[in-house]
Amino acid sequence: MNDQHLAVRGASKRFGTASVLDDLSLAVARGEFVSLLGPSGCGKTTLLRCIAGLLRLDAGSIAVAGRDISALPAHRRNVGVVFQNYALFPHLTVAQNIGFGLRAQGVPAAAAAPRIAEALALVRMAEFADRPVTALSGGQQQRVAVARALVVRPTLLLLDEPFSALDRKLRETMQVELKHLLREVGITAIFVTHDQEEALVVSDRIAVMNAGRIEQLADPATLYQRPASLYVLDFVGQSMRLGGTVSAAGLGEVTVETRLGTVRAPGAFAPGSRVVVAVRPEAVTLTETPPGGRNTLAARVSEVSFLGSRTQLHLDLPAGEDRGVVELPRLPPGIGPGSAVPLAFPIADTMVFPAA
Amino acid sequence: MKRDPLGLLALPGVGYLALVFLAPLLLLLWSSVRGPEGWTLDGYVRLLGDPYYRGVIAASLQLALITTGGALLLGYPAAFALARARGGWQVVLFALIFLPLTVSIIVKSFGWGIVLRRDGILNWALLNLGLIERPVRMIFTEGALYAGMINVFLPFMVLPIFAVVRMLDPRLPDAAATLGASPWFSFRRVTLPLSLPGVVAGVSLVFSLSVAAYVTPSLLMGDRYMTMSMVMAKAFLNLRDWQLGAAMAAVLLAMALAVVVGAAALQRRLGGR
Repeated sequence: MNDQHLAVRGASKRFGTASVLDDLSLAVARGEFVSLLGPSGCGKTTLLRCIAGLLRLDAGSIAVAGRDISALPAHRRNVGVVFQNYALFPHLTVAQNIGFGLRAQGVPAAAAAPRIAEALALVRMAEFADRPVTALSGGQQQRVAVARALVVRPTLLLLDEPFSALDRKLRETMQVELKHLLREVGITAIFVTHDQEEALVVSDRIAVMNAGRIEQLADPATLYQRPASLYVLDFVGQSMRLGGTVSAAGLGEVTVETRLGTVRAPGAFAPGSRVVVAVRPEAVTLTETPPGGRNTLAARVSEVSFLGSRTQLHLDLPAGEDRGVVELPRLPPGIGPGSAVPLAFPIADTMVFPAA
Repeated sequence: MKRDPLGLLALPGVGYLALVFLAPLLLLLWSSVRGPEGWTLDGYVRLLGDPYYRGVIAASLQLALITTGGALLLGYPAAFALARARGGWQVVLFALIFLPLTVSIIVKSFGWGIVLRRDGILNWALLNLGLIERPVRMIFTEGALYAGMINVFLPFMVLPIFAVVRMLDPRLPDAAATLGASPWFSFRRVTLPLSLPGVVAGVSLVFSLSVAAYVTPSLLMGDRYMTMSMVMAKAFLNLRDWQLGAAMAAVLLAMALAVVVGAAALQRRLGGR
């Protein structure tokens, strides 16, 4: 990639005997929004702190706009950070918080004032300029944190779980608002999150992290429709998945025997291999006589969840590697817990992974 | 306005203090302005008019300022180390700083005497290392007095600063750094202002304790360094001049009170921002 803005190469970091980042590489284009998605302990926050300069890498390098910044201390990197819970300075007002970076960098007060006013206007906080930050709501604090980070014109903005302190409703609004605002500014942004929905909303590409490595880096649609591994499949979205054994293979397609029946899927595995087949919940329909090119299975419903725009059926499957969630736009009459249902889903949408 | 019934919980404590502290205090103040011939300011006139007593007040003030300053200089970084230390280290540091509190001031002051004596441990060590040729006089010097005073009062500086620093969000210096603040700028503009309430509390505590010091100066300096408390004791016990002693007590009280009230006002102003 030519317009590569952030380049992390071979990053490794250990805390004692635990390897937190394991030879990780990541390239982000200028103006791109990338999420680091993973469960706690996967290394995503450590990677963010290493990029910001708050931690040093044990090995590897970090370059921004072609310049290696690995050896610079945090205050010389010009990498902005929006912290989880925002870390606003409690003894300063909104305007003083936003002006802090300018003052620290020796910008004269006369030159700083218009930039502070501009940043306040950008996040629609102008009328709160002289309030103490401790008197602000969560959403307002987040806006101040964003303005404080942006006003010094960083080359890169890192956001550490920026929405986790907000309640659900506000979180959804702020995700869209912040994405729009950052796009307007044109900055390159890296979000750290454990919330897959948030990652899907805010990012151009998502890096799913697992044990100090990037398991898959792709745009949200690819990640959802073509997960590279069972780990990614489970972390992003829900699915119906069934363990089985390959009974036949050829012509880019495998036939798998599962507990619910025979399933065909695009893929290449040797006969006899232990595999897991999976399908996204919305690809499944309830029909006994589907059009061609589909798999059909018979299952029993264990629970029904009404979610408004759609209804989820949880299938009664034995515990283990089998898991069953199916989604329907509308629940057909007469279906409830205990009902036997015929499932149909396109062969082309069926995924197959090596069994874990 | 509705009264908070919880306020009544303070009654036993306040009543006890009123009985054993406030009443004798008022009695003391009364005796400072009550002579055999009725009301008089004679005690204060004799005290403040005499260059010797003025010197004692100045010496007490100097001792308290140096002790407070020294304890702040040593205690402030120690409080940070204590707050940042993890697990076992914190226990060790805690013990180092607070165990001395369990030893009586008299024992500690005698201890300093033994260390600093002409034939004491320090002189012995320096002689044997060949750093000095004959014993140096350490005890009964002002340096020894300051060392002893700071040793006695240091925990009272560390504790309140530690209590404040412990609650500081460690991500605030991180945030400052990512905004381009050097460690020094970050300390001056973030850490220092946020830790000031602890400093104010520690300074008023150590100042009011050390301005009234009696045991440590008596044991380490004797009559060579008269503090207000020592003069007070002499006035009451040797001279039987209650009026003078009470006047000295009132002046001492006023000085300590001024610092405590001033510090509280300063803290309110800093906290209100």
